[in-house]
Amino acid sequence: MLTIDSVTKIFGEPATGYRALKDVSIEVPEGEFLCLLGPSGCGKTTLMNIMAGFEGINGGRVLLHGRPVTGPGRDRMMFFQDAGSALFPWQTVEENVQYGLKLQRIPAAERRRRVDFNLSMVGLDEHRRKFPAQLSGGMRQRLQIARGLAVDPDILLMDEPFGALDAMSKRRMQGFLLDIWQRTGKTIVFVTHDIAEAILLADRIAVMSVGPDSRFRDIVTIEIPRPRDPSSPGFGEVYAQIERLLGHDLDRHEG
Amino acid sequence: MADRITDDELTEGVARRPRRRSLRLGMLRPAAMAVIAFSAFFAVWEFASGQLISPFLLPPPSKVAQTAVPMLESGEILRHASISLWRVFVGFTLGSLVAIVLGVIMGRLRLVNELADPVIEFLRYLSPTAMIPIAVIWFGIGEASKYFLIFWGTVFFVLINTIAGVMRTPVPRQRAAQCLGASRLQIFLTVVIPSSVPFIVTGMRVAMASSFMSIIPAEMLAANSGIGYLLQASAIMVQTDRIFVALATISALGFATDRLFRFACDRLLHRYMAWSGSN
Ligand SMILES: Nc1ncnc2c1ncn2[C@@H]1O[C@H](COP(=O)(O)OP(=O)(O)OP(=O)(O)O)[C@@H](O)[C@H]1O
Ligand SMILES: [Mg+2]
Repeated sequence: MLTIDSVTKIFGEPATGYRALKDVSIEVPEGEFLCLLGPSGCGKTTLMNIMAGFEGINGGRVLLHGRPVTGPGRDRMMFFQDAGSALFPWQTVEENVQYGLKLQRIPAAERRRRVDFNLSMVGLDEHRRKFPAQLSGGMRQRLQIARGLAVDPDILLMDEPFGALDAMSKRRMQGFLLDIWQRTGKTIVFVTHDIAEAILLADRIAVMSVGPDSRFRDIVTIEIPRPRDPSSPGFGEVYAQIERLLGHDLDRHEG
Repeated sequence: MADRITDDELTEGVARRPRRRSLRLGMLRPAAMAVIAFSAFFAVWEFASGQLISPFLLPPPSKVAQTAVPMLESGEILRHASISLWRVFVGFTLGSLVAIVLGVIMGRLRLVNELADPVIEFLRYLSPTAMIPIAVIWFGIGEASKYFLIFWGTVFFVLINTIAGVMRTPVPRQRAAQCLGASRLQIFLTVVIPSSVPFIVTGMRVAMASSFMSIIPAEMLAANSGIGYLLQASAIMVQTDRIFVALATISALGFATDRLFRFACDRLLHRYMAWSGSN
């Protein structure tokens, strides 16, 4: 269970700085797929960085399994949109996945087993001796996912991981992520500003308002059974509901 | 080159073979261009000398070659060249080592960087040539002053590039390593330093070129051996043909060392360099 309890975040001086988040609260139970949705600049990345332990907070509490989060840890794995800059370009696909395992001094045989397992899960076992520069964008993202899953984190924090992909690869990656999620039962917090993507993936969607003092406008539970069909009427209804929630901000944004 | 290709076939599969082939064909073009360009250059030079300019001021390539042969046979050129090369090697190696060690620390520790940066910004404008007089006073006209001048010329290029490389290590890469369980020291050693390698190598290449430029004035003003000395001694005797032999030697040495350095980097640091262009 990941608990965000009235978290406030101010960039700069508390009195004069930019108040990015104000009293944000949510509980993410084990195994949930939560999407954070909101307009650009509303503080999605900021909230993810706080959960990951990269950023401190100015008020409230962040608890993981009841214990306060004080910094990054192997229990929470962050996946970055730009997989190319997050990977180690001087290491092969295989070596990238081994990185975290070597740090833990996991014996070679077990390491090999986990590398094989995770590479085949993301469909990269054919490419294990390539370097990241020799992979496509989608393959790089899958490599980043395999590398993170190899150290067996409890929570996957994904900040627009498919944001830079074309529509078709994005589709494939979404199906693939759902598959992994169902197989591993990991908790996933997933940032997007694509409404359809959020409805396709999430158990719940936390809709954020624009800053300053950004907070959750609403948290929508998606009841549509999986696999979800974006062209179904049920999907369309949820889409319209979320668009209405965001609508207020979108008007303000464009106006 | 040939064993390199079989190597790739083993790791990459045969699929890459056609691309490799065309790549090799493509490499013939610049080589052919170089041959044509040099032939034309020497032809114009040969013609100009005598027809347009006095052959005493500009000796034709044939005359320069005639002068060069005995100088090569007697070992005169080799002796001066190897002395210059050794001076460059010592100063360049020392300068690079000091700069890399200082640079990775400075790029990582903000306070040290903030304190050292203004000093570096100021000192970097003092070219090795400007430092010759004081180097002679400090170290005499022996080897130490030449080592110092090359060191001086090298250290700033490599230092500034190393610091840039360390500071430009992508934050997501460092944070990913942190999530994977790396400590601060481990991030520094296994992420930041490898990420900086392309920057460091670039700095070293620039420094290498500048070393070849600064060794000459240093030897002209304060030495009794080396290519710079050969140049100066020929100038005093007004032997223009020998001056041109010395100049050609400098070009050849600079070119050869740069290519050798690049080749060594390609071989040894291949994994760290290959991506730097595309990323
Ligand atoms: N280091 C920082 N210093 C000052 N302000 C910051 C900093 N980081 C973020 N902000 C501000 O906080 C707000 C939220 O930023 P954040 O990056 O979390 O937005 P986001 O929701 O992820 O946007 P996007 O969808 O464009 O990625 C923005 O207004 C941004 O300007
Ligand atoms: Mg963001």
